Amino acid sequence: MIVLVTAGLVVAAGLYLALSRDVLRCILGLLLMGSGVNLVLLATGRFHSAQPPIVAPGATVLDTAAASVPQALVLTAIVIGLALACFSLALVVRVVGESGDDVATMPGVEPSVEGHKPAILEPEVPESQGDFPPHEAAGGPR
Amino acid sequence: MVGAVGTAVFVYAAGYLEGHPRRGSLYGLLVLFLVGMVVTVLADDVVLLFLGWELTSIASCALVAFEREEASSRAAARQALLVTGLGGLVLLVGLMWLAQLAGTHQLSALIDALPRLPAGPAGVGLALVVVGAFTKSAQVPFHFWLPNAMTAPTPVSALLHSATLVKLGVFLLARFDVGASSFVGWSPTLQIVGSVTAAWGMVLALRERDLKRILAWSTVATLGTLVVLVGLQGSQIATAALLLAHALYKAPLFFVAGNVDHACGTRVIDRLGNLRHKMPWTAAAAALAALSMAGLPFSFGQVAKEVMRTAKDDSMLWVQVAQAVFGAVAIAVAAVASVRFFWRHPGENITPPAHEGGVLTVVPPLLLGAGGLALGLFPEVAAPWLEDAARAMGGVGRLPAPDRGATLGTLVVTLGVGACVYKYWDPLHFFLERLAARVGPIGMARLYERVVGAVPRLGTALVPRFQHGHLPGYLALTALVATAALWLPSGPWTWPQHATSPGMLAACLLIAAGAVLAVVLRRRVVLVLGVGLVGYGTAVLCLFVGAPDLALTQLAVETIFVVVAVAVLIRLGARKEGLAEPRIRWGAAALALAFGGGVVALMLATTGAPADPALDAYFGAQSLPAAHGRNVVNVILVDFRAFDTLGEVAVVVLSCLAGRALLSVPQPMKTKEVFDNPVLQVVLRPLCVVLLVAAGWLWLRGHHAPGGGFVGGLVAAGATAFIALAQSPALAIRRLPLRSARRLGAAGVLLAGFSGLPALVVGQPYLTHLWTSLNLGFTELAVSTVMLFDAGVLLGVWGALAGYVAGLLSQEAA
Repeated sequence: MIVLVTAGLVVAAGLYLALSRDVLRCILGLLLMGSGVNLVLLATGRFHSAQPPIVAPGATVLDTAAASVPQALVLTAIVIGLALACFSLALVVRVVGESGDDVATMPGVEPSVEGHKPAILEPEVPESQGDFPPHEAAGGPR
Repeated sequence: MVGAVGTAVFVYAAGYLEGHPRRGSLYGLLVLFLVGMVVTVLADDVVLLFLGWELTSIASCALVAFEREEASSRAAARQALLVTGLGGLVLLVGLMWLAQLAGTHQLSALIDALPRLPAGPAGVGLALVVVGAFTKSAQVPFHFWLPNAMTAPTPVSALLHSATLVKLGVFLLARFDVGASSFVGWSPTLQIVGSVTAAWGMVLALRERDLKRILAWSTVATLGTLVVLVGLQGSQIATAALLLAHALYKAPLFFVAGNVDHACGTRVIDRLGNLRHKMPWTAAAAALAALSMAGLPFSFGQVAKEVMRTAKDDSMLWVQVAQAVFGAVAIAVAAVASVRFFWRHPGENITPPAHEGGVLTVVPPLLLGAGGLALGLFPEVAAPWLEDAARAMGGVGRLPAPDRGATLGTLVVTLGVGACVYKYWDPLHFFLERLAARVGPIGMARLYERVVGAVPRLGTALVPRFQHGHLPGYLALTALVATAALWLPSGPWTWPQHATSPGMLAACLLIAAGAVLAVVLRRRVVLVLGVGLVGYGTAVLCLFVGAPDLALTQLAVETIFVVVAVAVLIRLGARKEGLAEPRIRWGAAALALAFGGGVVALMLATTGAPADPALDAYFGAQSLPAAHGRNVVNVILVDFRAFDTLGEVAVVVLSCLAGRALLSVPQPMKTKEVFDNPVLQVVLRPLCVVLLVAAGWLWLRGHHAPGGGFVGGLVAAGATAFIALAQSPALAIRRLPLRSARRLGAAGVLLAGFSGLPALVVGQPYLTHLWTSLNLGFTELAVSTVMLFDAGVLLGVWGALAGYVAGLLSQEAA
């Protein structure tokens, strides 16, 4: 029970951070959500035993032990999560370095969801984001 | 019938499109279309029927758009495709609906079962089928696409719109009529819609000046008549007769129109006249076909008319009125199509130098027209076919012997009316033109234009709303939908059964503290530490719930993560404390709490039930006997699910390589040596040795005790990070095996992949690990390809992370 509530709390904290317009907070929030989901996965093992899933010497079949499948899943998730963290943090360094701006918005669009203006919103569009064409306010059919 | 008209069309097209650059593709499309037709007609499976139906729709769209340089062609094709395509979708839904109800996909069985189905649901399905058929057969609200589709080359028009395509709807209705006629509303619907279509088509035919469009509207009218006939009881023979007659006279008339167009460069009836001298053979064909259309004696049209008249005796009064109008105008149209511009000379026209086309353009219409006449003279020839067709539609009927004397009276009357219409064609036309100008705005065609026109506007309005480029907006929307999804399936909540040990409680407090810190205190260092604390707390929790592998891995991961994140902070640190945001973002907080609560609710609803122990039991039982490993978690990773793990290692290596590449661009930022600490320098070497030995030990014992390749790789990468921090990243890389992080990572993945190959040699599936024992004299040492695999995992993770960390830190030193 306590683990479930904790997992929910971590996921909520992660989402809160992820909804920020600050790039670093956003990324770390997403990673935090990942941790929370790992907890959830772990909790699907039900914690019915604190015995590690290791076959005892002499035995051939695993006795009562913690669920092994969720652990295997979470283990890979943790490692992949680290890879994700490494890559996204490199992205943060690159984005911040090139735009000089931590706002996680596309250039040229006034943020509207949170109802306030960012403290630093540089008027000129950084030329580095060529992979993502600037959003056209006029729109139009493709 | 399809075959006969199709052949004629092919021959005609050869002459009509002589020298056209894309004649070949026209033939291809025509064949495709005919295949679709035949499939539809012969299919006894609803899915197959639908496929053929759609094939004809698509092929006809391509054919209408054949003159693709013309904007009007493209618009007409789009219209045809949209209308018939939508109709096709409705038909599909209807067919599936009925098939589900009847429990069979076989069309004949389905139709047999129709009267036994519950009336309400089956009625809905039937209505959908009817709508689909109406779109195909250009019945009144969906009639508008057919005349527009006349922009197609004439052979296409003749094939599609006189004889085949549009008859499909009628055909389908006729097939369903067998089982559906017991439904209330079936007959009235068909009769009413058909009558309205017939009358309206005739009126619109009077309005037109373009020969092909006149013919098209009269086709619409004929289709209406056919639908009425389907709706009538016991009129199957009449349906078949009219179907055949119409094919025999409308196709030649289209050919004639095509010839005239070809020869004179126009199809506007005002400008044409007196062509019989220039085009005698075409004129003859037109006359033959017109005879049949007008239903004059000794033509097959007259036979069809006769049958129709007997069939309609029991129909509603106004249906008969509509049909009378239809008959009269049909005569007028026939006259216009033949007499008006072949024999009569309107006077004021300037006819371009006309000439007869090649033999190929004249013979097909002549043959078809003559066929109509021949069948009229000897209806006995056609009788067996028609009776067969009628039987297929579930009716019994005999082609009545033509009673020419009795119908002469009605014939004279219709002829008279028809002649009047013909005589006053022009005044009528102008009257109708004015009328249509008033009625126009409420028509379906206008609705179609509005809808089609609104699509781009809708897109223009909607796209900026959803594609606003505002990242948190996307995320918020996604989270909102996900939250709703999380809360939706909440079943009964059950509190989990397990006891909570003090250790777990403490770990959870640690995790919660980390999460709260990260959110509440907004300094970036605290943020990173908070996230790290969550990770360490998780590691502690894992210790208490029987997951030592996880605890080890999480611990190593979190250490490396904090190192990396702090390095990143230092990269950013010279700048600022991030973005100034309000103290509490209420909207985000509410959404986040709802989302987190949803997660808890979902877990309460699911984990309350006992877990299915099958998988755990299987792995627990098989781990030692089948995979020679005591650590079940590790065995799952490297043996049972080794292929997944191989992919995951590749992902780790690739993403670290990509991150490394992102960091490798020179940055103009000033940095300083941070970890230049003498104590660190002294302990560095022994520490690294210890770490590497630990990594190796973790790898060796992983199969039987907590440990494994992942953790080993992480620990080894920690050693590299230490060297990079204390001395220099370049040195750290040089100390790696293979002297390059990239090579090391790649070697790891290759090794892991290679370890699965021996299994192939002995005929096992890839990545089935093999075991053998080496006798070292003093002890037996079990060796296995699984050790190679785990070593590959270790080296891959090590290489990837070492390269990444070194790249990150060399940015510092640059």
